[in-house]
This record gives sequence, C-alpha cells and structure tokens, in this order.
Amino acid sequence: MELRELFTVDAVKLELEADSKDDILKELIELLGLDEKSDTILFKTLKRRENLGSTGIGKGIAIPHCRSLVVNKLCLAYGRKPGGTDFSSIDDAPVHHFFLIVAPPLEVSNQYLPILGKIAQFAKDPEIPGRLESISEPEEFLDLLKEKSTR
Amino acid sequence: MMTASRLHPQLVLLMELQDLRSQHRELGEEEAVREVEETHFQIDLEKARIELAEKIEELEAALDSSARRRYEQIRPHRDRVVVPVINGVCYGCFVSIPTATVGDEGAREELRGCENCGRFIYILS
Repeated sequence: MELRELFTVDAVKLELEADSKDDILKELIELLGLDEKSDTILFKTLKRRENLGSTGIGKGIAIPHCRSLVVNKLCLAYGRKPGGTDFSSIDDAPVHHFFLIVAPPLEVSNQYLPILGKIAQFAKDPEIPGRLESISEPEEFLDLLKEKSTR
Repeated sequence: MMTASRLHPQLVLLMELQDLRSQHRELGEEEAVREVEETHFQIDLEKARIELAEKIEELEAALDSSARRRYEQIRPHRDRVVVPVINGVCYGCFVSIPTATVGDEGAREELRGCENCGRFIYILS
C-alpha cells in the first residue's frame, strides 16, 4: 500500500499550535479522531517510546510511532510546526515536520514496519523538507506523497 | 476506534501495560523492529528493554489485587492479556462474545473477560 492511501486530509495539520514536545504529541494524536480516554492511553505509550530515545531523526523531521491497543487499524497523521520546536532530535535541531504512526498490536496485513520504513525513507529525501515547507493546503501534502511514491 | 470514553481504571492500566509489553517483546524478538529502531532512530536496544521492563514492573505493582490475580493467571499462558472485541468477536481467541457481555452500557466501565479464553476484553468499534 502506498503512503498516499494511508493519510486523510483530516489527519494533516499544517499549523501545529503546540510549543512543547508533549503538547505536540497530544496535538498529533487529536488528528486521529479517537476518544479522550484513547488519546490519554496513546499519549502515554508514545511518550514512553520517546523516553527510550527521541524519534526525531534529524533534518527537522520526527516520526513518533508505536503499537497501541486503542486503534484497530494503522493510523497516520502529519503535522507541520512553523518555526520548529525542540524534540530532542538526533541532531539537536528543531523539528518542523511530524509523522505520527500508530498500529494495532496485531495486523493481518503487517504494514506497520514497511510503512515506518517508507516514511523514514521519504523524510530522508533531501528535497522533502523544502517541499513540505512550501505546502499551503493538506491536499498538496497528499499529492507530494503520491508524486514521490511513483518515482 | 474506541467509542466510549468511560473505561474501568484498572482496564486503562492493563491496556497501558499491554502496550508496554508489546514494545518490550518487539524490541527483543522482532529482528525487523530492532533493525528499524537501530538504523533510523539510533535506539540502544538493550537499555530500552531494561527501561521498559522496569516500567512494566511498576505498572504491574499498581494493579489492584483482583485485577493482578487475574492478570497473573492469564499471563503465563497468553501473549496478550488484554484484547479488543471487534464486531462482537474476541480478538484473542476469535470466538463470539455473548451480547450480554459486550452490549450493555456497563461493558466498558467494568473489568470483563472473554468467557472462552479468559483474557481481559475491551470494546472497539
């Protein structure tokens, strides 16, 4: 499955408002449209993953990810923070682009790891940070995913 | 997705515990996960597993005596102690759950188990 098929417009936010790492995670979780209790459980799981080592992979990009019981299918969201924020990234640089990936504990299609790998590859394309900065509508983000997956 | 925000507090704890156990197991046993976490995220796998194990112990200790007793009965026999019920089916043993167990308003507020496999269940739509 291509990345484009896994994102929806509702799960893309180009102006994240939060300023701290925790609040960014919460804002990203909200994009998944779960209920309040699920949001709380998911936040704790993501936070515990972050405590093992930041998912900020450098060059302004972070990929918070985990498996959690609160979802029944692979869920993805993208958030952009104008100006960036400290996310304890590998290169210590502020993070501007956040890709959230949450998978259920058991997946028949087993997409979680391949998708995590694809996002990491997508994010490491030197052209991507600049292209993401220039996006003005969520649909353009989806178009970019489609464009890159067809190359 | 889960449709109700009211969940038994012990069930919330059990779900957090299950998520941690999934992370701990994957970082130890799943070669593909280990590779991704090391390559892309530069995680110290062994340190991470130790930290997770400590957190798991901490959460286990926070279970009340009744939930903990059931948890300890199930855990030696089942990889997953807590499982979702989706469309009336237990996703631990894939047996249908009686409507009376999952259909009423209290289903999410009480700590309930699958009558077939014994795992703790929560309702996911």
